[in-house]
Amino acid sequence: MKGPGGTFMTEYLKCGGYDAFRRDRLLRPRGLGRRDLVSGLGAGVAGSFLVPGGMRAADRSASDSFAPVAEENALIAFGHTGPITDGGWTTAHDLGVQAVRKAFPKLRLVYVESVPYSADATRIFRQFVAEGAQMVIATSNYGDFIKDVADRAPGVAFLECDGHTVTDNLGWFYITHWYASYIIGIAAGLMTKTGKLGYVGTFPVPSVYASANATLLGAQSVNPACTMNAIAINSWFDPQAATQAASALVDSGCDFLCGITDEPAYLRVAESRGIKAAMWNLGMRQFGPKAYVSSVVLDFSRFYVEQVKARLNGTWHAAPRFLTLANGVDRDSWGETVPPEIATRADEMRSRILAGYNPFRGPIRDNSGAVRVPAGVVMDDDTIYQWDWGVQGMTGLG
Amino acid sequence: MIALLTGLLSTAVLAGGVLSLAAIGEVLAERVGVTDLGVEGLMSLGAATAIVTVMAVPDPWAGLLAALAVGALGGAVFAFAAVVMRANQVLCGLAITFLGLGLSATIGHSVAGMPAPVTFAPVRIPVLGSLPVIGPAFFAQNLLVVPVYLLLPAFFHWLLFHTRHGLNMRAVGENPAAADAAGIPVVAMRFCYVVVGAALAGAAGAYLSLAVIPSWSEGMVSGRGWIAVALVIFAGYRPFNAAAAGLLFGLITAIGFLGQARGWPIAAPVLNMLPYLGTLAFIILPVVLWKRMRRVMAAPAALGVPYYRSVR
Repeated sequence: MKGPGGTFMTEYLKCGGYDAFRRDRLLRPRGLGRRDLVSGLGAGVAGSFLVPGGMRAADRSASDSFAPVAEENALIAFGHTGPITDGGWTTAHDLGVQAVRKAFPKLRLVYVESVPYSADATRIFRQFVAEGAQMVIATSNYGDFIKDVADRAPGVAFLECDGHTVTDNLGWFYITHWYASYIIGIAAGLMTKTGKLGYVGTFPVPSVYASANATLLGAQSVNPACTMNAIAINSWFDPQAATQAASALVDSGCDFLCGITDEPAYLRVAESRGIKAAMWNLGMRQFGPKAYVSSVVLDFSRFYVEQVKARLNGTWHAAPRFLTLANGVDRDSWGETVPPEIATRADEMRSRILAGYNPFRGPIRDNSGAVRVPAGVVMDDDTIYQWDWGVQGMTGLG
Repeated sequence: MIALLTGLLSTAVLAGGVLSLAAIGEVLAERVGVTDLGVEGLMSLGAATAIVTVMAVPDPWAGLLAALAVGALGGAVFAFAAVVMRANQVLCGLAITFLGLGLSATIGHSVAGMPAPVTFAPVRIPVLGSLPVIGPAFFAQNLLVVPVYLLLPAFFHWLLFHTRHGLNMRAVGENPAAADAAGIPVVAMRFCYVVVGAALAGAAGAYLSLAVIPSWSEGMVSGRGWIAVALVIFAGYRPFNAAAAGLLFGLITAIGFLGQARGWPIAAPVLNMLPYLGTLAFIILPVVLWKRMRRVMAAPAALGVPYYRSVR
């Protein structure tokens, strides 16, 4: 779903222009985004590469499922949802890819950027298999587009970020970012003067609900009057729309912005309007040092290295995996303008969560006032992962 | 209420400037009969070039100049193919778009995601800047706003409609054979204004990456070049209308976000649809309600048709 995509030309030029990339990008004749006019053309180009490979994968017997592979013979393939230079989500995943390269220098690593959410994705994953990849990792949810490939390539391990399906050789992983959001929400609740938080959202999907709700619940835990206005900008990456959305939120009285976009546009708005903001994906204080409070930082390095190692050893198995707080997701170190007592108070909750406390406990009401999580009930990660309603005090997001 | 209006208009002016600048450039190219669909790529190229330039020379004007130059260069490549060699304009335009998107990703790769070291910072123009609502929106923003919305449209309107040179330009767009017979250098005229238009598209990219965002990332233009091309039709191929159309588009987008921020009882997807609904409405309504508009707003008769002197 994510990312605007490059073009055939982009990929071609990068192949020629960057030696460092050329080595890793033997398989990259595409990367067309859905918005590109000639995506049909790209599909044709991609398709022609793939016919023999699909056959080879089907021939592979099930008996060598996840057999150990020597590092120098291994091929690990990544399908990125956006360009690795997006400065957010895909950059965070690329840092993980770099960690894998460092940990296994003899391994062959390939990746394709801006894999569209369409049948083109199937072709790209199938081509990975055709090239002989032992493991394919997708950095976003590709649903049936990846499952179809996995079902026909039983010897290949598939991992999907933000996925929902587990089969014999397809697993998914996701970060439990809601705990980091909750911690940042506490700081937001203590720092806001108007009691109105602004949220620059993308699409009304569970990860966005979980992020926005967690931040608001964190804020309400210290400042019960807090409310949140959310805007869906219909894109993971559109700095100009995010800028406009952020300005609209500030004009409506919000004095603390948070969100889930792939880039730092709304932090700059916060900086220029003299309010505070918390970010997502990576530490971004350089874009607005005065406004910067913290960020939900993602770190896939350890997870990717572990997973690749397990695959090489032949011990990998398909499973749903959550990367927990301090193991792949955390709050960034606090911004320079965050008062120490507020940072301490938020970090107390961080310590409690690390010790096993779950702050998502009933009663939790939805934005119509109805109790959705009764008193005494705790929302576990699986429930939060499916969150599709806004909590009390939330407007926008439906 | 005043504060809200001011905020709304300021956001619209800032964001709409990108579209206005690119649309004014496209008006020039289309007035001389050339459809330049390379705007998206040229904007992207301009945006990347501007950031790379200010990283080396910390002066936003240097970035703008570099973007103008790169836009003009891209425009010259396009004009050579589409005007001099008379290749299909639509295909050449698409090629320039993809070339521009790809090249800009390559040029900008090393600086992607980094904040611009210098930007077109807001400057308050004395007296005018203190007018209510309009002051903060037009005269207290970055220094490109006044040229984009007032000076450039005024200049090109004067050029197109109040000079003999402008009459010649329009003649080239309406009937190149007649213009040629009258001694107007058709190819030179087309080449020149395609290049000027492309330079403005490059400048629109610089405006985006130095004044609005301000940073470079791949895919940052995200379709605004195409919107600029559409706005030219809506604007009836007139510079002032093009600038106003950019502003209107910015305003409608801003209203959509404001509606969501304020929790208006309208579904978010409907509010997100506003710019497109608005464009449809503003194209259809004037033509339906006011028959004369059909003639006034019509496209140049020879738009998109390569000119061969030897034929006929």
